[in-house]
Amino acid sequence: MFERWKQKRNLNRLKEERFSFLFEEAKADEYVVFDCETTGLNPKVDEIISIGAVKIKGNKILTNEALHLLVQQKEEITHHSITIHQIRNCDLDGAIPLDEAIEKFLYYIGSRTLVGYYLEFDVAMINKTLKPMFGITLPNRKEEVSALYYDQKIARIPQGHIDLRFDSMVKDLALPNLPGHDALNDAVMTAMMYIKLKNMSRNKGALRRV
Amino acid sequence: MIALLENLKIDIPFSYLDKGSFGEIETSAHIAYYPKSTVLIQRHTALESLYYIIKGRVVCQKDEEMIDVYQNHDTFGGIELIENKTSDYDYRVEEELICYEIPAKVFLTLTQENQAFRAYFFSTMVERMALLKDKKEFSAIGDLMVSRVDTSILHEVFMVQAKTPILEALDQMDRANATCILVENAQGYGIITDKDLRHYILNKETKNLRVAADIQTYPLSTIHEGELLFNILLLMTGQSIKHLPVLDEQGKAIGILELIDLLSYFSNQTHLVSVQVEKAQTLDAVIAAVKRVNVIIEALHTKGIKTRYIAKLVSEINRKMYRKIFTFIMPKEWHEKSNFIVLGSEGRGEQLLRTDQDNALIFEDSFEPKMLEEITHRFIAVLDEIGFPRCAGNVMIINPKWAKSLRAYKNDIDTWVDAPTYEGFMDMAILFDSMSVAGEVSLHQRLIAYMIQKVQETKTILPHFMRAIEHFDSPLGLFSQFISTDKEHKNQIDIKKGALFALVHGVRGLALEHRITLTNTTLRIKELNTIGYLSKEDAKNLIEALEVINTLRLDAQLIKQSKGEPMDNYISLNTLSKIERDALKEVLKTVNAFKKRLGHHFHLSVVG
Repeated sequence: MFERWKQKRNLNRLKEERFSFLFEEAKADEYVVFDCETTGLNPKVDEIISIGAVKIKGNKILTNEALHLLVQQKEEITHHSITIHQIRNCDLDGAIPLDEAIEKFLYYIGSRTLVGYYLEFDVAMINKTLKPMFGITLPNRKEEVSALYYDQKIARIPQGHIDLRFDSMVKDLALPNLPGHDALNDAVMTAMMYIKLKNMSRNKGALRRV
Repeated sequence: MIALLENLKIDIPFSYLDKGSFGEIETSAHIAYYPKSTVLIQRHTALESLYYIIKGRVVCQKDEEMIDVYQNHDTFGGIELIENKTSDYDYRVEEELICYEIPAKVFLTLTQENQAFRAYFFSTMVERMALLKDKKEFSAIGDLMVSRVDTSILHEVFMVQAKTPILEALDQMDRANATCILVENAQGYGIITDKDLRHYILNKETKNLRVAADIQTYPLSTIHEGELLFNILLLMTGQSIKHLPVLDEQGKAIGILELIDLLSYFSNQTHLVSVQVEKAQTLDAVIAAVKRVNVIIEALHTKGIKTRYIAKLVSEINRKMYRKIFTFIMPKEWHEKSNFIVLGSEGRGEQLLRTDQDNALIFEDSFEPKMLEEITHRFIAVLDEIGFPRCAGNVMIINPKWAKSLRAYKNDIDTWVDAPTYEGFMDMAILFDSMSVAGEVSLHQRLIAYMIQKVQETKTILPHFMRAIEHFDSPLGLFSQFISTDKEHKNQIDIKKGALFALVHGVRGLALEHRITLTNTTLRIKELNTIGYLSKEDAKNLIEALEVINTLRLDAQLIKQSKGEPMDNYISLNTLSKIERDALKEVLKTVNAFKKRLGHHFHLSVVG
């Protein structure tokens, strides 16, 4: 109820009609997993360096339609974030302006449900630019992979400590670990976790094995 | 680019593709997830994509029978797509699957654009193994580069003083049977070879040539002990030197290296061992010579020489060795009254590394050997020293069961055939695979002729004899059960139980049925083709299968040898490359099909 009201208010604030598709009914069983690489972990001051996104349709990860956007930087990337993402300034050749990246991203996600790992942060990073541009925040439904994981684990080990680090989850779910640490690879990994978790909750037998 | 796709690039056959092709894959392939027990492809349906397994396991089945297993980095569906036919099998997910799906259309375009890529899907397992052997070639060159000259291949130095008259020097040289003369000068050595003698004959009058120093080549190139053979080869071929003195640390000549020996060392060290065994005057010399055989096998194997040829060389050396030991140890009167034979894998000429020994003695019926126990124990002690592990099944001449008269063996055969037991059949199988090595060969011939005759008279025995091929589970079954069942050999399969035994025993049974007295499995298969029982295609497949099994087994055994671990028949699936696993799967399929054929042929299902 409250949720729908918020959604409506969000729509009313939309400055450009061409993005109204974001508010349409989401297609069943279609999702977009995305991940942003940023200059730091504070949405207020840090900037997006790249956006990686991949669609999920049923049990398939559509890597053939993957999106990988590099964003032009106002300032030189700091030493610290280089060590995390291994994106150097020279790797940003072919980068596009941030507002162009946001538009491409919106066309890519459509009204699909968004999936991510600590999605809140990535959504905040997008909204930070989206709001001044078009007056809205991302209206899409959102699913948090670490929450899905937590729910399934806690059901079997109540009061247990659950390790929610990205690499720990990948390992625990027995998924292949990708060497690359960029937005797109992380999005693909997150997509694998999401599909597996969904299948586990559908199939109790498989759940017991993990 | 997505990192998973990067991984794909290095796996055969995708490694044949160029950048453009990867672009096509990247813009068309997707990753798919399938939970356990999903039927990925149903029998008689068409495939929509080529599958590449990122993680998981898929089994391929026809009815309840498992045909194949695919694991990480494996590709399947290629042949069906290229031939545009529906699947003959069900593909079922056995362990949660994450895979790439490359759309059929894209895959087919790639096969049309890239011949090598397409050819891979039609290559036979031996061709796939050849791809791997190419890789090993490099390491073989590496080995040769670091081999150093050692005194065993040097010729003795024949030396004269600078002042020795030429004719006197030649006379001594002739008697010493040397190929060149080293001349000791006040400072350094000189050498006289055929070329210098030619010069002497043509110019002895005009130039007044009298002593060795007058015709020697001086100064000359020499090398020091321990020099790299590869450098020496460059030196000798570069300066066309045929005889090269080798000096020790003090600069004293210790031997002459001849180019021909160096070349034969590079091509085939077995020749040398073979000659050494033949020339050996004492038991110790025999032992010293054959001790090097295992090292040679490794060198030949890394050179990429087929195992059946290696086995042939090894078998020849071993036969010479047995003959020598026999003449040294067995009393004179035994030589015409007894026959020393080797059995089992040695009898078939298929033993590579010394995994065990199987030997026996047949005596003339009227002959009563004296001191049998003492002599046979001395014989086995020599084999111990060479490094032949004793036979676990006690098939050795120190066991009275395997050292007796021809008549006693014939009685055994009667018992094996008339009152069949599993153990009896195994003894019969071992004896049927025997080969005469030393002594009176006719004893062995008469024994084998008797066995074949007996079996021909009692043909109903063959199905019982053949039942042993069903003794061990289907090897493809082993694959899938492996992880959970055999804790001690995790991710390993026993290739002997899994495939080799059925193949060898099956061929053995057919040989017995068709009165083929050859013992080597490859030769038996060829003979079965000649008499028309096996088609050329079937014979070729079986020989290839045998080759792959032995290659993989030898790989594993060489690793165990280098680690000093005991020899067994396990091969580790984890260490196999993709091609090797592919080849192994083909082999297991071939062996399964062969077992099935034998089942029909001998009506094994009706034998209780």
